[in-house]
Amino acid sequence: MSLLAPIRKLWHSIAPRTHSDVEEEFRSTLDAYQEDLIRQGLPEEEARRKARIDLGQPATQNETYRDAIGLRVFDELGGDIRYGLRALRRNPGFAAVAVLSLALGIGATTAMFSLIYAVLLHPFPYADADRIMNAHFVKTQQPDVFQWFTLSEAQLDDLRLAAPVDSVLGFTTNGHLEITNDGLPDDISGVYLTKNAETFLGVRPLFGRMIEPFDAGHPVVVLNYRFWQRYFGGDPHAIGRTLEMNHAPYTIVGVMPRSFAFNDFGGVGDVYLPASLMDAVANGPAPTYLPWIKLRPHVTVATANAALDPIVREIMKIHSEASLAWHLGLQPIIVPYQQDLGRTLALLLAGVVLLLIIGCANCSILLLARGRTRRHELAIRTAIGASRWRIVRQLLVEALVISCTGAVLGVAGSYWLARLPLVLSPDSFPAESVIRINAPILAFSVALALLCGILFGLVPALRLSRHDSARMLPGRQIGVVAAPAKHRWSVLIAAQVALTLLLMATAGTAIHSFLELMQMPLGYDPANVMQLGIPLHVDNPASLQSREARASYIGQIREKIASVPGVLTVAVGTDATPPFSDPVDTESSFNIDGTGDGEQSQARVMLVDQQYFAALHIPLLQGRLWSTDENSSGDFIAVVNRTFATRYLSSSNALGRQLRIPALPNRFTASSAQSTARRQIIGVVGDARNDGIGRPVVPAIYLPYTTLMRQYVDCFVRTQGDPLTYLHSIRAAVASVASDQRISNGAFTLIEAIEHDALYSRQRLFSILFGVFSAMALGLALVGIFSVVAYSVAQRTTEFGIRLALGAPRAHVLWIAARIALVSAAAGIVIGLAFDSFLGAVLAHWMQSAFATRSLFAAAALLALSAFLACLLPARHAIRVTPAEALRHE
Amino acid sequence: MKPVELPQGTLEMLILKAVSLGPLHGYGILLRIQQISGERLEILQGSFYTAIYRLERRGWIRGEWGESENNRRARFYSLTAAGTRQLKTETAKWTDMAAVVAGILRKKAGEI
Repeated sequence: MSLLAPIRKLWHSIAPRTHSDVEEEFRSTLDAYQEDLIRQGLPEEEARRKARIDLGQPATQNETYRDAIGLRVFDELGGDIRYGLRALRRNPGFAAVAVLSLALGIGATTAMFSLIYAVLLHPFPYADADRIMNAHFVKTQQPDVFQWFTLSEAQLDDLRLAAPVDSVLGFTTNGHLEITNDGLPDDISGVYLTKNAETFLGVRPLFGRMIEPFDAGHPVVVLNYRFWQRYFGGDPHAIGRTLEMNHAPYTIVGVMPRSFAFNDFGGVGDVYLPASLMDAVANGPAPTYLPWIKLRPHVTVATANAALDPIVREIMKIHSEASLAWHLGLQPIIVPYQQDLGRTLALLLAGVVLLLIIGCANCSILLLARGRTRRHELAIRTAIGASRWRIVRQLLVEALVISCTGAVLGVAGSYWLARLPLVLSPDSFPAESVIRINAPILAFSVALALLCGILFGLVPALRLSRHDSARMLPGRQIGVVAAPAKHRWSVLIAAQVALTLLLMATAGTAIHSFLELMQMPLGYDPANVMQLGIPLHVDNPASLQSREARASYIGQIREKIASVPGVLTVAVGTDATPPFSDPVDTESSFNIDGTGDGEQSQARVMLVDQQYFAALHIPLLQGRLWSTDENSSGDFIAVVNRTFATRYLSSSNALGRQLRIPALPNRFTASSAQSTARRQIIGVVGDARNDGIGRPVVPAIYLPYTTLMRQYVDCFVRTQGDPLTYLHSIRAAVASVASDQRISNGAFTLIEAIEHDALYSRQRLFSILFGVFSAMALGLALVGIFSVVAYSVAQRTTEFGIRLALGAPRAHVLWIAARIALVSAAAGIVIGLAFDSFLGAVLAHWMQSAFATRSLFAAAALLALSAFLACLLPARHAIRVTPAEALRHE
Repeated sequence: MKPVELPQGTLEMLILKAVSLGPLHGYGILLRIQQISGERLEILQGSFYTAIYRLERRGWIRGEWGESENNRRARFYSLTAAGTRQLKTETAKWTDMAAVVAGILRKKAGEI
């Protein structure tokens, strides 16, 4: 009982009494009073009357009750909302335009917010993702130069003991696993995870389970969602089945959810395996892992860096002098995306906020214009006792009804709008960010709807509620008096036009610089060339251990591909894919004979064969290319690009000069005997983009690829027509060399390589999205101007009729009808133009593209023309008014 | 005697007092206030039920359906514990204020 009492009390305080309960009580009081009066001698009818006069009507008692307990305001709001909905239904044209204006703005803003939420605020599905750090060494003098490091299992264990560390995950990626029980060999990427993966990542699998500590040594595999979709068609019964990789069976124990795409740095895995299986696959020294360090709560990155730096040095036994120039730099895993995407998203957000403001201004304009037709109604309400606050509230509620309807439509639309940037620029976003409408995003859009409703509703509401009833009531008299001099909406139109111009100029700049980027000479011809990855097959690595064996094997494959009908040229290269948006190798230093210290001389070393230049149409400017024999030996020769020749060899003839590249070999490669010996420059070729498109070409040294053999090479195949259509016959040709030799998944054309360039895809994203935004803004502004003129013409029908009847020239009437809107649109354009220098600075910083003055004037001209038409079309109705029509109008 | 007009806000205090003497239905409260005041209080009829609803909402009185003296269904109000406390503080406040005001008004010119 005592337990129920507070609950009952709470219920009573929330739930009001029912209508009938209140009325019945009141009736019983009324009856008792009435009987008393009769007893005092009043006749029954009189008593009944007096009781009601003294106590009130039973019918209105419920209202008194709800008023007393403070519910009346809700009743009135409900009434206002119903009234607002009715008003919208009565004016479907107005409603559609107003709701659509807001739906566009709110939809675009919600989409951008959900994108920011998914990409920057909550991109990762991992537990405590904000405490997970990438670990690398950073050069103290140049903080943007860093070096990843890997640790062995034992070293990871040592690191786990460090005080600031909560846990450490080690992972390593084998990008060339091969599925062998399914006809043609298929190349997939496997990520090996240390045994604490399940607890460290903390992601619930979709089916089955994650890698667990007890899996050590057992051949089990967990599938990535996309791989599972692709390979098993999303079959939930895949669990327990066997996947054969590199001729060994693995049992499938789990499928990860779609949001899990571990990870962007080593390459997203198709399958996840226990690290203990590494030995079974990889030959050579003990495997090492990239570490992900999860810090303890409340440990700052700086503290952790300071504490872990000596520990990591101790663990890795780095004590050299040179290493002192570097320090440990932990980095929250979100940081790389924030750097790349922060600006892009900020700029896009600014764009949609402008769009939203334009939409709001549009609604204000419509409400103000329509308000004139409502003056009579409002005047009557004031006359019968509505307070100003009551009328403001009514008008605000109507505005909120519009904005909420717009928000519902907008949120529905934002669902696919938010995906647009990911489709247009997929490589710029974390693979794991999943866009979905969730509670924070809904809360955001509701808040936005309320804010917008108040924003655009308040000015019209205050303005319309101000008129006193005495002046307004006789409003049905003949409206020949000139329209009120003050037009709030003219200010709004000017503002709207100015903002639209701002958006259009931004779009113009984006499109302009994108076009410029596309027209920039590449220095090579990407059309009809594709790149194929050829991994050196792992089944029998012993036979291909030597550099010479690998070189001749690749030579055979090249010959076979070249013999496929339709294939024009085949070239071989290692990590030599233009335009090098994302270089695997940074530049190497070299020395040129006869010059001083070569420490500052840096060039990109490209490992290619002599056909590379023909396949990509890179012209030879001086000297010669190397021969087939020179190509297989690999040593003593080099070809440089023009930038190299002009920067480092400017004073003399480049040909015949000698250079050395001391840092050439590293431990992952099989290098030739004389790879670091002197090389003679035998030729100079033209500049081809090698640092991303839109960035200047860096000096490059081309060497025969046989100098330095990795575990794989790339083939560049120039064909007649679309190269991807030759993929099947090329596969067959490769298989004729060795039946189990495969081609990496993801053969791509060089055009596609350009499309994946960060700058290219960002500029394309800006061009398309700002183009869409400014088209929407232009549409909204025109609708605003059109409806204002149309309304005012409809309102002044009588006036125009009389003017025309009295002989006013048609051009004059047209001018009167369109004047105010025209002038405010022109003012808006002038204001917008005045902002251009400011906008130029903003765009230079945020979009990293120069402001195009030409596109600004083009935008202004387009806007002026369309605004002129939007004024003129409805204004034409003014000169079509006949006097008879004008009279009927009253 | 002339009827006395109630100062703002005192009606609720009077209702609490009336109900404190035993459960009463609405009309009963009206009668009792008039009876205790010696028919000198003219209660604004319209505001009477507003006051009752408010008191009930605040949890100072509790209404329950029962049977009236002439076998009619009526809603009887009784004082809750919170209501008892409220009546006590209101009474103390009122007495204090009345004493202070009366004391001031009683002063003669020489005493100030």
